[in-house]
Formats: sequence, structure tokens, C-alpha cells
Amino acid sequence: MWKGARDQRAPVWKGARVLSFLAPAAAILALTLPAIVALYFLRIRRPTRIVPALHLWPNQIRDRQANVPWQRLRPSWLLFLQLLAAAVLVAAAVQPALPAGAALARHSIVLIDASASMQATDVAPSRLDVAKRQANAVIDQLGPQDRMTVIAVGPAARVVASVTGERDTLHRAVNGITASNGAGDLSAALAMAAGLVRAGDDARAYLFTDGIVQPLRASFASGLPFPVEYHRVGTSGENVALTSLTVRTSAQSRAAYLHVQNFGQQPRSVSVEWRADGHLLDVRPVTLAAGQAQDLVLPVPGDATAVSAHLAGGDIFALDDSATAVARTPRAFRVLLVTPGNVFLEQALRLRSDLQIDVIAPTAYRASAAYALTVFDQFSPAVLPDGPFVMVDPPAGSALAGGQPVGIGRVRAVDAGDPLLANVDLQDVHVARSQDLRNSLFGRPLVSSLQTPLVLVRDEPFRQVLVGFDLHESDLPLRIAFPILVQNLSEWLLPPSVPSHSFHPDEAVTIVPESGATSVSVVRPDGSRRALAAGSIATFADTDPTGLYTVEQTIAGKLERSWFSVNLFSDPISQLKPPDRLTLPPTRTTVTQATHHGQLEIWPWIALAALAVVTAEWLAFHRGL
Amino acid sequence: MTPAALLEPALLRRLESLALQVRRAVSGQMGGERRSRRRGQSVEFADFRNYTPGDDFRLIDWNAYARLDRFMLRLFVAEEELPLSLFVDLSGSMDWGKPNKAETARRLAGAISYVALAALDRVRLTVFADGPTSGGAPYRGRRAAAGLFSRLQSLPAGGVTNYEKLVWPIGRQRPGMTVLITDGLGEPSIDPALAAVQRAQQEGAVLQLLAPQEMALDWSGDARLRDAETGLEREFTATPVTQGSYLRALAQRTDDIERASQRRGLRFARLSTAEPIDEMVQITLRRLGLLG
Repeated sequence: MWKGARDQRAPVWKGARVLSFLAPAAAILALTLPAIVALYFLRIRRPTRIVPALHLWPNQIRDRQANVPWQRLRPSWLLFLQLLAAAVLVAAAVQPALPAGAALARHSIVLIDASASMQATDVAPSRLDVAKRQANAVIDQLGPQDRMTVIAVGPAARVVASVTGERDTLHRAVNGITASNGAGDLSAALAMAAGLVRAGDDARAYLFTDGIVQPLRASFASGLPFPVEYHRVGTSGENVALTSLTVRTSAQSRAAYLHVQNFGQQPRSVSVEWRADGHLLDVRPVTLAAGQAQDLVLPVPGDATAVSAHLAGGDIFALDDSATAVARTPRAFRVLLVTPGNVFLEQALRLRSDLQIDVIAPTAYRASAAYALTVFDQFSPAVLPDGPFVMVDPPAGSALAGGQPVGIGRVRAVDAGDPLLANVDLQDVHVARSQDLRNSLFGRPLVSSLQTPLVLVRDEPFRQVLVGFDLHESDLPLRIAFPILVQNLSEWLLPPSVPSHSFHPDEAVTIVPESGATSVSVVRPDGSRRALAAGSIATFADTDPTGLYTVEQTIAGKLERSWFSVNLFSDPISQLKPPDRLTLPPTRTTVTQATHHGQLEIWPWIALAALAVVTAEWLAFHRGL
Repeated sequence: MTPAALLEPALLRRLESLALQVRRAVSGQMGGERRSRRRGQSVEFADFRNYTPGDDFRLIDWNAYARLDRFMLRLFVAEEELPLSLFVDLSGSMDWGKPNKAETARRLAGAISYVALAALDRVRLTVFADGPTSGGAPYRGRRAAAGLFSRLQSLPAGGVTNYEKLVWPIGRQRPGMTVLITDGLGEPSIDPALAAVQRAQQEGAVLQLLAPQEMALDWSGDARLRDAETGLEREFTATPVTQGSYLRALAQRTDDIERASQRRGLRFARLSTAEPIDEMVQITLRRLGLLG
């Protein structure tokens, strides 16, 4: 793999000097040359002037044009200069270009890293601007038959100019690229580029990046249909970053834990400004040796909505110099457990801090809208609630009851990759007996056995779970898998309306509107507002800016606010030091077409020469040549 | 035709106060107002000489005979007319310019003639182009002016200038004054005619008349030039350079004429048709010493 240039200059292209023409059709203008000669041949119309003595008029007058039609062509400086000027202008019009260097393929794919780290200013004005400058230099060397595709490599790869030879379009596309705050997905960009290249195409990719991108996926093992040149941008890794900020609530107080790290090779002294809801609470000086990290514990006022930390002084990368965290605890869900008695279930549910559990006997059950989730254990009401519920071992004859109990052998996950079974180890789980749910139309099986499905889940009309066996007839509650499964299911059944933890830039945030919410909108850190559909779970991915996001929901005419934060919090990005080598996918060796060379347009110089010739012609005319 | 048709009466009146100036005595056929080289019968004494038979004995100075006992004749300066020969160029090249050179030449010739006629000088008018017209009878006396003017106006301009054909008519002039009015642009050179003036012992003057448009070109660009006399044509593009060449050629030609005139003892003046006749006569020709 080609190793990128170590300096920040534009790529240097070298190659054989063979002239080519960018606008060969303009050669038709060469017809002006015979036209000039024809005009010279044609008799000029001159007004007749009577003079007293013709012999006094200079008899050394030379014919500039024919005195008689189609006379023999006589040498004339003026005619020569006219022909020369026309020839030079024609030469400029066909836009001759010298090969300017390195092999430019017929189809060049320019990949410009537009990820967060490209905002670093270790090279002026920024890494992204330098990359764009270098890309523009490549565009200037496109030949008339060459095509180029420009792909911005951000959190999502984006084709900004697709297979075009229009230089203006390409320049505009490159100059229009802005850096995002997320990590660059080079794999997606390369896959996209590979999709634009047909087998046998003469293609080459030019990657302008600092090399700080998401790790490449393994799917490129078979290689790419084009070679990739890595042009490194950026030099320094001297950066101090805030890489983590969390708020912890204990019985006594609340505190924030801030992680500050010096990624550079030089010791740094910084000061951390600590704010709650924008009000400055504290300024902590921090001195960090090369590579050293430090944790700060900072106070959080009880009434604070959000806290933020900022590194004063600034460095080459501003994005990781600020961190924001939501200080307010999320609203609790009320959960009703209807059971004749099931301590396992109750304890597993109580593990989740934001759940408020009410336990009642089946006889005391009354349908209530106050509960976000109802768990029925060995009981089934006559009318099932319209909402999320978990039904464990429904009594025979009830709506969801299965067939006759069957003995169960091994328990297994229907899909080991199901997120609901994440970290749930069913290896040593045994169930003595279970209702026969094979004919149940409840939903899809989550946990099953050879005899019958054991746990069914469904999304419609609400997220609901049906467990076909009595927990007391299984060793599942005794396994570590049980609380994890309950946790997974409860989070799935009752996702927090707005997750209050920190997200990475461009990471999708799932927002579940509260029941009864008539309007939902998100106010971004810059004050812009995005409206969401009120009646369904929304995925909000417009999270590129870092900072505090406010989710506003109108419930029964009352505005409810909740918050989440977006922070960089990425060690690989904050590290900033561009790698000397970037591991790129191999090139499939089937592509061996000879590449040709980039173009250096010289027509402006030729046009200047034409101007000089025309000036010479003017002088010659006035000197009577 | 009246004199006023060619020259304004006021100008004619002013011309009457002028007279042709000659540097030496002249001899004419009839009495005039000028000293003659011949001894004559005027009141101005010139010399004595011995009597020879056949002399008019009325001229014997008897007082001298009394003192010297010899017959001596008293000789007196003869006062004679001045024979003025005007040669006016009315070739094709003169019929050009604004004001027209031929018209100006006619008026100038008329003015000089009128000065001479008013002083009882004899005027012979010859108009020439490719050859001289017949001089006709000389004009004498103020009354002849009308006829002279009429003739001047009746002769059309045209033809190719040929100065060599002036040699014979100039050479047969009796001593007197010869004034040549021409633009001097004809080919071949004017020099043979000037030499003839010198040989004929003429007091002479060459008045070169040019139009302002040929002394300073007022056009540029492409043109087809046509010679006013020969009708020959030539393609030409006037640029500052080619215009300069023409002006240099014209200056060379006029300088040649001036030098040739001076070499032959002739007065020379270059006149522009833009100059009013009044000023030409009263200022330029007086400064030249032709009129006084």
C-alpha cells in the first residue's frame, strides 16, 4: 500500500510531457486562418481619393491585401502576425494541457475525510481545508476524458459529486464539504466507491485523511477493484481532551465524574471550568504529564438540569474541550406486579432504579391506567390491559393459556443474536414443565425447547411477553441469566422516554413519546428545533452538534421537558496523531490498466501570448509594416 | 465680365496703391513709369557721348560744344513700361483643394496683373498645363483688366503639367518680369522653366500655391488614390508612418523648387490657398519684394 506523503503540500505529480487537448472541438476555429488568407486575397473596398500628385505618395507602400482578386500571396508582416494571432488563439481555445504528473486514472475517486478529527487546526487553517486544497489540486489535473467521484467520509459516507468531468462541479462539491463531529466510516465510503466502479474500469482512489477513522470492516478481505492512495493530512497529536462525564446519584448527594486526558507528548496545564445550567461553579487547574489522565469529582447542585465542563485555553482540537451531562434523574415508571407471590420476579424488577413496583394479589387487581407495565403471574384478568404487560404461566382457560403442560428438555435461544437475549446465558437453565405454546398465535418465540416455545414476545398492538411456565418450576430464577433477561425485557417493554445518558455525535437516539403526548420536538444545542411524530417511537439522528438536547413533549396541554447530551467522548479521535501508515484493503490484481497522467492547463499562458501577438500586430500596423 | 467678378472692388482699390518692384531697370516697348536700360527721353540725365552722324541733333548739348568745341549728345534715362509675363498653372493638380488652387491662382494672377495694369505696365498672360496656351495680345492699361480677368476665368483647369513646354515661350520674352504661379507638383521638374527665366534675363518670381489639405493630411485608413492629372490609381493605407513619408516627399519637392529658384536668382514664396488674396498680396508678396 502506498504510503502517504509526510508533508502538507499538494501531491506532486510527475510524468511524461505529452500535450493533450481539453477542448479538441475548438480546433474548428482553425478555419479562421484560411479565412484570413481568403480575406487577404479578396480585393478590399477602398474609397477613392483624388490627390494632386500621386508620385509624392510613398511608392514603397506594400500591399496588405490584394489589389486584384486572387493575386499571388505576397509576404507581409501584418498578414503573418494576423495568422499567428489567430493560430495562437485557436491553440488557446483547444485548451492544451501538459501532463502534470502522477498517474490519474480514467476514473478518480477522491475520498475526503470529513470526520471530527479533521477539524483539528494543527495545520492551517484546518486538516479538512488542507485536504480540500489537495483534492482541488487533483481536480485541476483532470484530463478531458477523465471522470471523478468525490465522496465525503463522515459518520455516513456521502457522494458529493458522482462520476463527472466537470471541474467546476467538482470544485464546488469539494469546497462544500464540511466536517461533522462523528467518526469517519471509511468502510462505508470504500464500499460506496467500489459500487461506482465496474469490473475492468481504470480507477484509482485518493484518500485525503488524517487516518483517524473507524476500524475497517472485515468485508474487504477480497480487496477493492482499485488502488487507494493515502494522503496524510495533519501532523500533531498534542491534545488535551475531556473523554467522560457522568453524574452519579447516591443517597447523600450527587456528584459528577470528569475524565481529563493529555494525549500529547508534552506536559500540559489546563484549567477546567465547571458549570451547572450555564452558571460557573468552579475552575480547577489541572496539570497533566504526557499521556496522563486524571479524574475530577465535581459537585452537582440538586436542582441542576445539566452540568458542563470546559477546558479553558484551547488547543488544536476544540470539539473535545467541552462536555455536557444531564443531571436530572429520569422520571420513574410505575409497574404493577399481580402475583400470588413471586419473590424472584419482584426482586428482578426492583433491580431497575427507575421502576416503581406495586405488588398486589390477583384478587385485588383492578385495571388501572396509572401503570406503564403490568406483570401477571399465574393470573389472567378477564380483560387484558391495553398496554405493555408480561404474562407468566397464564391459568388454564384464560385467553393466552396454552395447551396441556409438556415436559421440557433443553432450553435454547431461538436467535442467539436477539438483543433481548443479550448476555443471557441459557446453558444451564432447566424447565420442568411448560404449557404447550406451539399453537399460540401470541407472537414470535424468544426462548424455546424441543417440545414447545417457552417465551413468546410481540410488538403489536403493544410490546408484550408471554412466559409459558411457572418460574418456580424452573431453575431460571436461580441463574444469573434471570435478572439480565428481566432487565432486557423491561427495558424493551418500557424504554425510557428519553435516554438521559450521553450519546456520540450522529448516533441515533430513540425517543418514545409519553402516552398522551400531542407534540414532540427536539431543541438542539444551537437552538434549532426538530418536530417528531407524537404517536410513535422516533429515531432522532440529527445529533451532529455536541451539547445538550432538550426533548419537549406536550401532554394534556402541559409542556414536559427531558434532556439528553451529545459529547465526542472518543479516545481514538481525541488522540489526533495521524498514523504514518493506514491499513487499507488490498487491491484486486485484476485491475492493471495503464493509467495516464493528470493535466496542467496551459491555455491561459497561450491566451496571454495571443494578446502579445495582437499588440505586436497593432504596433506593426501603426509603423506601416 | 467685370473685374469685380474675379476680385472685389475694395481689393482692386487697395491694389491700385501698389506697384511691381523690379531690382534693375527694364526695357519695354512703350513708355511707362519705370527706368529703362535704354537711354530715352525722360527728364532724368544719364550720360554724354560723342555725336555720330545720324544722331538726333536735337540731343546735342550746345553748352558742351561751347566749352569743348565738340558735339556732345546728352543722354537721358528712358522711362518705359514693365513687361510682366504671368505664367499660371491651370493643370489638373491645381483643380484641387479647398479653397481650390486653380481658383486661387486665377485670383492671385488677377491681382498681380491689376497692380501692373494700374501702373501702365504691359501684362502678358500665359496659362499652361501640358503646354502653354497662346499668350494672346498683351494687356496694357487699367481698362484691359476686365478682358484679362475674363480670360483668366474662361480658361478651364485640367491636363498634365509639363514645365518643359514653358521653356520656349519664356525664352522669347523681352527682358522684364516673369511671375510663375504653380503648385510645383508636376513631373518632370520645374527646373528647365526656371533656367529659361534666368536665360531670358527676367526678373522672376515663383509663387508656389498649395492647398491646406495637401500640406496636412486630414484622413487615414485605406483608400484608392487617383492622380488628379493622370488618372493613375494606387492602393494606399494611410498610417502615421505612410503619412509621414508623403509629407516628407512634399517638403522635399517644395524645398527643391525653392533652392532652384534661389539658384536662378528668382524670388520664391510658398502660399496656402487658405490665405486670403488680400493678405497674400499685401503681406506675403510685399515681404517678398515683388510688390511695393
